[in-house]
Amino acid sequence: MSDAASRLRRLAAFFSKGLLFLATALSLVAVLLIILYIARDAIPFFKLRGLKELFASASWFPSGHPPEFGALAIFIGSGLVTLGAIVVAVPLGVAAAIALSDILPYRLRQAVKPVIEILAALPSVAYGFFALVIFAPLLQNRGGSLLALAAWLIALPLGLLLIFVITEIVTRRVREDVAQAARLILAATLVVILVRGLLALSSLLGRVAISSGTNALNVSIILGIMALPTIVSVAEDSLQAAGRELREGSYALGATRAETLFKVVIPAAGSGIIAAVILGVMRAIGETMVVWMASGNAAQIPSPWFNFLSPVRTLTATIAGDMGEADQVLGSERYHVLFALALCLLLTSFIANLASEWILRRQQRRLGGLK
Amino acid sequence: MELQARKLFDRSLTGVSIMAILLMSLSLLVLLGPIFSRGAGAFVFRATNEFRRLNLEQFNRGDAQAIAEETRAVSEARKPVYEMLSAFEAELADMDASRRRELRPQLKEIKNLLRELLGSLPGEIEAVMLRQQYGQTRWDRARYKLGQILFREQWDYSDKRSMGKKVLTPRRQDFAGTRLEPLFTYLERNLKQLLRPRLTFYWRFLTDRSLDSHFFGGIWPEILGTFYLTLGAMLLAIPFGIIAAIYLSEFASSGRVTSLLRVCISTLAGVPSIVFGLFGLAFFINTLHLSRSKSVLAGSATLALLILPTIIRASEEALKAVPHTYKEAALSLGASPLRMVLTVLLPAALPGILTGIIISMGRAAGETAPIIFTAAVSVGQPLKLWETLSQPTPALPWNIYNLATEHQAVDEIRHVQFGMVLTLVLLVLLLNLAAILIRARVSKKMRG
Repeated sequence: MSDAASRLRRLAAFFSKGLLFLATALSLVAVLLIILYIARDAIPFFKLRGLKELFASASWFPSGHPPEFGALAIFIGSGLVTLGAIVVAVPLGVAAAIALSDILPYRLRQAVKPVIEILAALPSVAYGFFALVIFAPLLQNRGGSLLALAAWLIALPLGLLLIFVITEIVTRRVREDVAQAARLILAATLVVILVRGLLALSSLLGRVAISSGTNALNVSIILGIMALPTIVSVAEDSLQAAGRELREGSYALGATRAETLFKVVIPAAGSGIIAAVILGVMRAIGETMVVWMASGNAAQIPSPWFNFLSPVRTLTATIAGDMGEADQVLGSERYHVLFALALCLLLTSFIANLASEWILRRQQRRLGGLK
Repeated sequence: MELQARKLFDRSLTGVSIMAILLMSLSLLVLLGPIFSRGAGAFVFRATNEFRRLNLEQFNRGDAQAIAEETRAVSEARKPVYEMLSAFEAELADMDASRRRELRPQLKEIKNLLRELLGSLPGEIEAVMLRQQYGQTRWDRARYKLGQILFREQWDYSDKRSMGKKVLTPRRQDFAGTRLEPLFTYLERNLKQLLRPRLTFYWRFLTDRSLDSHFFGGIWPEILGTFYLTLGAMLLAIPFGIIAAIYLSEFASSGRVTSLLRVCISTLAGVPSIVFGLFGLAFFINTLHLSRSKSVLAGSATLALLILPTIIRASEEALKAVPHTYKEAALSLGASPLRMVLTVLLPAALPGILTGIIISMGRAAGETAPIIFTAAVSVGQPLKLWETLSQPTPALPWNIYNLATEHQAVDEIRHVQFGMVLTLVLLVLLLNLAAILIRARVSKKMRG
């Protein structure tokens, strides 16, 4: 091959690599542009109205005279539904991830995977439609009995588990020959107390009247289900990444599967699970359609703050709902305040993403070091 | 004893985690069940004579002669209804004033309901709105309207402690002794003769344009709009996505720049979809002026950014899964790296890349928030291909939202809403099924 041809070839390779790099850099450019353009339209708002009003006041009247832009209630609304989604999704998601990585046999696992994929693939507007058209009327008409049912479903298994642990701890010191009887008696009394308590609770809940089905509870449950696939798949990945060696070592020492999980696998995969939770939570915070359709969109702070039965309004729903009108008055405060809200949302997502990325990488390095 | 406790603890963990899986599967079933069962109602339902008449007159569809005959029979059956109405009106004029004052508004209400049930009354000027020209096209809606005619709905708020209770009083009582009294029995007994319901498979729901803002007709403009938006997004995102994946998996050194790129990709994946929408508005429309206002082009560009990370990740995974030996064999034969990528690597990774593309297609089709400000309108005609550059379009996800919350008669067009949701969900599910099948084939091939 001649010298010139080889140089030409090298040049071509260099250029093609450069072109590939440029196309790859589109993501970088996109992220920069998003920050730039959201910030560019958000800054005029802060210049005009300062920071204090947005974060400290709860009166949101963007179309009033004079307009007020206190978004505290909106931030609290976002926080509340996210909290609710965490309560729904984290225990369920982590338990499901454990089942997928350690408990179910291979065939069943393959059967469950599509369920997660479908949950992840369903469009958010379909979830929102379900929440608004099916779930909200159900909550409104049968809210009390639904709450009671949920209380039974959650509290009964967990309560039985707790009773079991308590009886074990209490009777540990008792003499062997009476221990069995003592354990039985203790467990029976506790079960009676649990059932009595649950009965009282469910009759209390059964009387709860939900005045509107579009409220924070509805949205929290749906958002929790939407966040599930993210949490399950990321958490499962990191549980898997903990590796066979660790598990087998633990089994060899005589530990049961539960002990292996809690004392070995989860400590090793813990940071990955945290990253999974962060990513799942971000999905809940950033979700628009469900909260827009089914949260009630009332810009008020629920009283007391944890009242999940009151309607709330979130950041994303405010942006989606108000832009339709603010669009007409381009460049006004009403327009810019929505970009200010979007900037808050964007910064939250950046921080959460970087955090989860950092956590996952650290875990990778640590587990890599273990092997 | 200690051992037994440990075993029990182990079992309960198994129980709890399996319960979580069951709960997750159950929630999927609960979610999809009503969407499928009620969504099917948009396609298969008992259509009335009004439906066939509407199809004939608006879409020029169906056997004109048979329908004319049926319409004649139906109007024969309706005659007594109208006769009773006019007889009662004559009677009303002779009643004493207080009774008249009491019954006149009720008569007006009944006439309105009858218009909704059977279409405009004889002798009236043809209404402008299509929904006033035709009666109920669906048997289930007709039954519901009949209920409204038979019973007056009132709310009882006498118990201050609980919410108001619904009380139904038969209208027959209100009109007892008048010449309108037999109307209610007649309607109840002869509703079938009045409307002639017949089980119909209306597959044209997918391909019909909508009439009178979705009171009648199908959802073709929305389907077409979703198709355009998805297609545009894929055209823009696929080349960049695959190139980026090739660069990252084959050419990138593991330096700072590369890790910055990777961070950017995952950051882009985490940006909330509504922020994409705002960005699309601020950048593509207000700054670049891709179009004067919303357009399919701007929406597609926004969606393309949204799905770019998904495509990059999936393609990179697929490229990395290709065995090293393939590449090394190609390189050792003297192929340049670029040529190796094009002739060996890409074909081998193609099914995996395809899977990623199909899944992100489902995502692009179903996203609503990014197109609210950039592409979607509530009402619109099907677009021609070149119009997508400058015109906004209706789209399935946006119109589901719009019909379910902002439409003037949300309750009356539930079947259209459910039909739309079912269409969108089925679209996404089919895409995902395709992806799953491709993946299964690939993994079989890799193992074999």
